[in-house]
Amino acid sequence: MAWISLPGRHSDHEVLSAADDSGLVADLVLTWVDRSGPIAVPVISMRIVGTAPEALDLPAEGRCVRFPGQDWLVGVLTAGDIVAGSAIDEVVGVGVPVTPDSPVDTRGFLRPSYQDGRLVLLVEPTVDGLRPVEIEDPHQCCGGQH
Amino acid sequence: MHNHDGHEDHHHHHEVAPVEGSWQDSADDHPVSVARRRFLTGLGIAVGGAALGTGAAAASPESDAALGHRPTNPWGRRDRWFAGDHHIHTQYSNDGQYPVAKQVAEARKHGLDWVVITDHGGVAHQKFSIDQVTPDIERARKTNRDVLVYQGLEWNIPGAEHATVFMPPGRHTVDILRAFEAGYDGNVLSRPVAQGGKGLISRSTSADGEPYALAALRYLESQVLSGRTEIALMFANHPARRGVDSPHELRGWRDAAPRVAVGMEGAPGHQAAGIAKAAGGSGRARGIYDASPGVDSFPGYAPNATENPYRTYGGFDWMTAKVGGLWDSLLAEGRPWWVTSTSDVHQVFNDTFTNGPQDYETTGNRGAPVDTGVKRSDYGDFFPGHYSNTVVGARSKSYVDVMRGLQSGKVIAVHGRLVDGLDLRVRALSEGDNQGVTLGGRTFVRRGGDVEVTIEVTTAGGPNFSGAVPKLAKLDLIAGPITGPVADRDVLSAPRTTLVKTFELGRKSGRVRFTYVFRGVGESFYLRVRGSDGNRVTSDGGPVMDVIGDANPWTDLWFYANPVFVDVV
Repeated sequence: MAWISLPGRHSDHEVLSAADDSGLVADLVLTWVDRSGPIAVPVISMRIVGTAPEALDLPAEGRCVRFPGQDWLVGVLTAGDIVAGSAIDEVVGVGVPVTPDSPVDTRGFLRPSYQDGRLVLLVEPTVDGLRPVEIEDPHQCCGGQH
Repeated sequence: MHNHDGHEDHHHHHEVAPVEGSWQDSADDHPVSVARRRFLTGLGIAVGGAALGTGAAAASPESDAALGHRPTNPWGRRDRWFAGDHHIHTQYSNDGQYPVAKQVAEARKHGLDWVVITDHGGVAHQKFSIDQVTPDIERARKTNRDVLVYQGLEWNIPGAEHATVFMPPGRHTVDILRAFEAGYDGNVLSRPVAQGGKGLISRSTSADGEPYALAALRYLESQVLSGRTEIALMFANHPARRGVDSPHELRGWRDAAPRVAVGMEGAPGHQAAGIAKAAGGSGRARGIYDASPGVDSFPGYAPNATENPYRTYGGFDWMTAKVGGLWDSLLAEGRPWWVTSTSDVHQVFNDTFTNGPQDYETTGNRGAPVDTGVKRSDYGDFFPGHYSNTVVGARSKSYVDVMRGLQSGKVIAVHGRLVDGLDLRVRALSEGDNQGVTLGGRTFVRRGGDVEVTIEVTTAGGPNFSGAVPKLAKLDLIAGPITGPVADRDVLSAPRTTLVKTFELGRKSGRVRFTYVFRGVGESFYLRVRGSDGNRVTSDGGPVMDVIGDANPWTDLWFYANPVFVDVV
């Protein structure tokens, strides 16, 4: 497997379309931020299946927009099921304990963080259980124009 | 000790600085270089102003300390408290809807003494809105003679979040606001030229905007130094919401213009947004703090297993709510930086009105709001005065005095009328400043002496907007050593700042007094006070992270008072 990286600003949807349109099969797609220059640059890294193993631009940490098992993670699942059924290695609660039978409302949108090769899903308490810290539709101030 | 004589160098502001000729007239209209030029022009005046020491010149606490331990904000002045709100949107914001008259009438009805109208900066606002909001504000002043109505701006800080910028009414106020927005608004700067912007920075929040933010604040300070306005203030709004106000930016703003950049929202607005759907609310995050890190977020704010800086805690922003956190790290440097509480009102919870239909891009105005006849439970805001109050100690209810109170940190950020007043006195019991100082002040004591803190709190004398009389359960006294300027400007913790003492009120109400004595003090320190209704408190006495979709603002009330610095000499 090889990593390829593409700098530029894209929505998750565009990131995944680009991955699919490339004709390559990417089983892990990350977005991360290159802060080495004066302006932070968003970068996409894809792990391509079926190519020679190579470490190219492997980010230390990122945000995972595609990972093995993702399609299966819909609705309310237990933390144990999420770990057992996908590439997510761990479900961590913010200020709350998470046990394997803790229910998590996936809201059909999971973006675990990639930390040194591990996928960690951060969740937080809501009115009826746990939900991912990152959600698909956070409030856009000023109607998203700023 | 008061040895700042011998420098009575009476520069008169108006004689020195170039009052006429705006930055726009210059051949080089690059905002950064223009501001730098004007800032340098103002420098000679800054020195003269500081040498005057007392009087109307707003000598900063730092310079006072250097002059020899002259206390600032002495206790016992006959200040009065004036409640207000420095963050209010109207139909002149693309996402706002209420007329100025409506906002001011609501503020007045709910006991506010001062308000700042702060529509979003941007190309359409700069071009079209300013000329429309100005006469509306003038009319509101005439209709509500007992309310101070400031004209301001919600500035898109280049490289960062939003901020309130405002000035007292004056001959040049509108001109300054207009030039400021054209030259330094992050939205104007980042928008491509073809779309009416300047195309100078990559994004409104990208780091290439940071020098423009500093230039912008120096520009405002130069307007004060040149006498074009008596005072100008900036408060950073919802600072942790998207993680784009990095610690070095906060420090940079303050250092660039210490008389202008004086604080931040300790609590953001939108406090009704966390009301549960089951309780008829919108079921969102309190403060609409539901974001996660983005490309321009400071990496040090990443959420983790113990905390999430992108959420509110007891309704307050994480920077303020965390003991030993970012706010404390600024205070531990001895750096004055004040916190406030505002409504950020756009659309009010359960109101039936929605945005007017007018095209904002081409008119800078949404037009009159439209009554849908249906209560909008998805709205998350309160009208000014309904919930969030910034209470300011000032000599009189005048435009400049209230701003001086804000500038000097005589400020309490209060939610839901948790308290009606707070008289804080910090004084040396031994050799030192025995008269003492109050909120935002700086006092001194000889090394090894004792420092007495007297907190006289006035609990709510009546119901808040929910109809209940809030019950203050406890006061926390928080203190930490002043360890001086940090080498790493992105430091965001003050590990030695701790909760020193909790005072329980029990059944006490009305005016309640507590005293605490720091004995044998060996190093300079600061202290601050906060209070809670005691409903949602962690094991170490702090606020709990607000639960998304289940944060009733009326049953989790806090207030935060601004600090007092104690120099040990």
